[in-house]
Amino acid sequence: MEKKKKRFRWKDFPLAVKVLCQVGMIALILFVTNLLMYWQVNKTMQRLDSIYASNVNLTELAESLESVQTGMYNYLTVKTSDSLESYYRNEEQYKKLLEQLNDRPMDNPVKLLEKNIRKMSETYLEYTAETVLAKRGRNVEKYKTSYAEALQMYRYLNSCISDLNVLQFKNNSSSYRTLQNSIRYIEVGSLVMLVLMMGVCILMLFYMVRGVVAPLTGLAATANLVGQANFNVKMPQTDAQDEVGVVTRAFNTMVSSLEEYMKLTKENMEKEQAMVERELLMEAHLKEAQLKYLQSQINPHFLFNSLNAGAQLAMMEDAEKTCIFVERMAEFFRYNVKKGSEDATLREEVEAVENYIYILNVRFAGDIHYTTDVDESVLECRVPSMILQPIVENAVNHGIRNIEWEGSIHLLIQQEGTDIRISVIDNGKGIAKERIGQILSGELRTEENPGDSTGIGMHNVISRLELYYKQKNLLTIKSPGENQGTEVTITIPYRETEETCIGY
Amino acid sequence: MKNRKQINKEVWLMVLSLLIAALFIFIMITYYKRIMEDAGVTAEEVNHEYRYHYEMIVDSRNLTFWNAVYENAGEKALEHDAILEMKGIESAENYSKSDYMDMCIAAQVDGIILEYNGEEGLQDKIDEAVEKGIPVVTIVNDAPKSLRQSFVGINDYQLGQAYGAEVAKLVDSDTRSVLVLLNRVQELGQNQLYAQINSAVENAGQNHKIKIQSENIMSQSQFDTEEVIRSIFQSEEGPPQILVCLDEVTTECAYQAMIDYNMVGEVKIIGYYTSKTIMDAVGKGLIPVTISMDVEQIGTYSIEALTEYWEVGRANSYYTVDLNVITEDSSRKQEN
Repeated sequence: MEKKKKRFRWKDFPLAVKVLCQVGMIALILFVTNLLMYWQVNKTMQRLDSIYASNVNLTELAESLESVQTGMYNYLTVKTSDSLESYYRNEEQYKKLLEQLNDRPMDNPVKLLEKNIRKMSETYLEYTAETVLAKRGRNVEKYKTSYAEALQMYRYLNSCISDLNVLQFKNNSSSYRTLQNSIRYIEVGSLVMLVLMMGVCILMLFYMVRGVVAPLTGLAATANLVGQANFNVKMPQTDAQDEVGVVTRAFNTMVSSLEEYMKLTKENMEKEQAMVERELLMEAHLKEAQLKYLQSQINPHFLFNSLNAGAQLAMMEDAEKTCIFVERMAEFFRYNVKKGSEDATLREEVEAVENYIYILNVRFAGDIHYTTDVDESVLECRVPSMILQPIVENAVNHGIRNIEWEGSIHLLIQQEGTDIRISVIDNGKGIAKERIGQILSGELRTEENPGDSTGIGMHNVISRLELYYKQKNLLTIKSPGENQGTEVTITIPYRETEETCIGY
Repeated sequence: MKNRKQINKEVWLMVLSLLIAALFIFIMITYYKRIMEDAGVTAEEVNHEYRYHYEMIVDSRNLTFWNAVYENAGEKALEHDAILEMKGIESAENYSKSDYMDMCIAAQVDGIILEYNGEEGLQDKIDEAVEKGIPVVTIVNDAPKSLRQSFVGINDYQLGQAYGAEVAKLVDSDTRSVLVLLNRVQELGQNQLYAQINSAVENAGQNHKIKIQSENIMSQSQFDTEEVIRSIFQSEEGPPQILVCLDEVTTECAYQAMIDYNMVGEVKIIGYYTSKTIMDAVGKGLIPVTISMDVEQIGTYSIEALTEYWEVGRANSYYTVDLNVITEDSSRKQEN
């Protein structure tokens, strides 16, 4: 039973069926009502038409009676067989008409009068028959008295018929009035019904349209909210199986899956970011570890003090060159250790490079021709520390080492608009184009010989530049071809007074 | 419960509109049926059929009285499976009672109740009817010489005595003349009613001579009664001190004339019947006394007589009806 009920729920019907049902029902009701009205009015009209039929019948009876009387009178006057025949014919017809009248005592005055008329007519016909018979038998005395009686009865009958006519006319008139009134009432009734049904229909249509439109409006409003990235709103749950219900459920499903999808995306992004951060952190840690390792290997203070002691010793022995060499070495390593984690001025960077080249030249007996073209005005600009020395180290290690000709390195620092352009140009072996790409994208990051380096690779420089300036492609590498040298250029914005610090 | 709540508003509305439509259609059909029944008096009315058909022929002049009689008799007739018709009330032409008798005989009714008024030839008509097997009962006024089956009413002797007694009560030293307004065609010498009143007056007025007269106001034309009474009041010797009226119309006319000529107290009217006008006058003391036959008894007895005739083959020839004498005192008692 329950199941059956559920199967035929109103809200499960398709909209088209619903509309059809309701509109159809309204149409049916209006049709039936109008049909009823039409039928009633029609029947009433028919009744109105037939209402005076009884009076017409009565008039016919009176006419027939008159023709009987006339027939008898004519026969009495002229005594032709024609008149006799006519009398009998009329008598027969009158008798026939009489049979339609009531002959039982009844409490209806009309019926009672009919009975009287019928019985009196019978008596009258007896008299006329008697009269005609007497006339035929030439009994003058008899037919005269009979005729007198018949005539009297004829008068009574006429009077009675006229009474009945009046009575029937009264009844018929009241019927007529009642029917006439009833037509008016039916008109008013039908009008009331139509107005009432119209009201109900409008109400029904209103609810129906609202039933369709309200969820849609709600849907639109909710969709707007969802459009504003609010995934917490939902349409009220519905189990209706009509189109609106289906759309509502689909919408709800869509909203919840959207929400899930957004959550998933957010999570993925967060994960990715965390991974990048971790990687960076790991790299930093690695560097730190390497530094710590180096630091642990050489106690910098001891080293510097020793170097200073060495320099003094050299001074005392008048070994001036040795003294300068040891001093520069001490300076270079101090800078290296000190500035490993801060930014520095461009001047300090340039000095570090000079120290490095000097040390190398001592080591390699002045193989490297180092020239500079530096715009002094930009040297106070702050840059990430240890960016020039690794580039120069690369130029030395991969560019001019083991070349047949005399190697030279040229450092160019100049202001270009709002930027500072720093170029390290060597005349070494050059770098193949694929390799340049690999270097810039960070794919080539193995430190071939960490022991022979300050430990800071190209990629580190690129990363730190990007982190520091929050820009990409600050570093470019150009090499015209094999054995035609390399130019590494750093372009950084000119920010003289800015005191920034990179956080690692 | 929950299921019910879930039913859609639209469904409710649909059911509601269906109900309204059904109700309306039902109302319209019922109403229409009723109209058709109202309008169908002539054609479709269910008629009750009776075994006998009686006619009552009365003088249409005293409608209130005869209507009361007819009403009672009609009810009684229905109890005895008969329908009673009254002739002489609604008719286009002015027929005499003989004419009505003719009609009834021709219509072959099962019984005639007739108020006999001494009209010429009426007695023969009674005989004719009886000969044709139609029982005739006379009421109020008798036709003792006819073949009538029964008489319901009071005989002139008794009625005369009753009136006489009332007249005697009203006679005083100022009474010089008494006028009896008769209402039927009859020779005065044979009129027991008049004779009884006469003797009663003579006995009452022992000390002085009282003139007693009678006037027959059984008129040919309808409005004569009023004219005759007016002329009595306007006569040279003045109206009588006591006026005896023997029917309703006469009483009412005399009462009206008495008021119009400002003779209240000078003329004492002995009335007949208890119509509203007369009872009001009695209540106010303007008419000292009115005498009335029991209308209920007239109706009952006349129908009983006819029923008895058809069931037993004969009927009592005489039914006495009670006579009510109503004075100011008794009318008050009745009201209380």
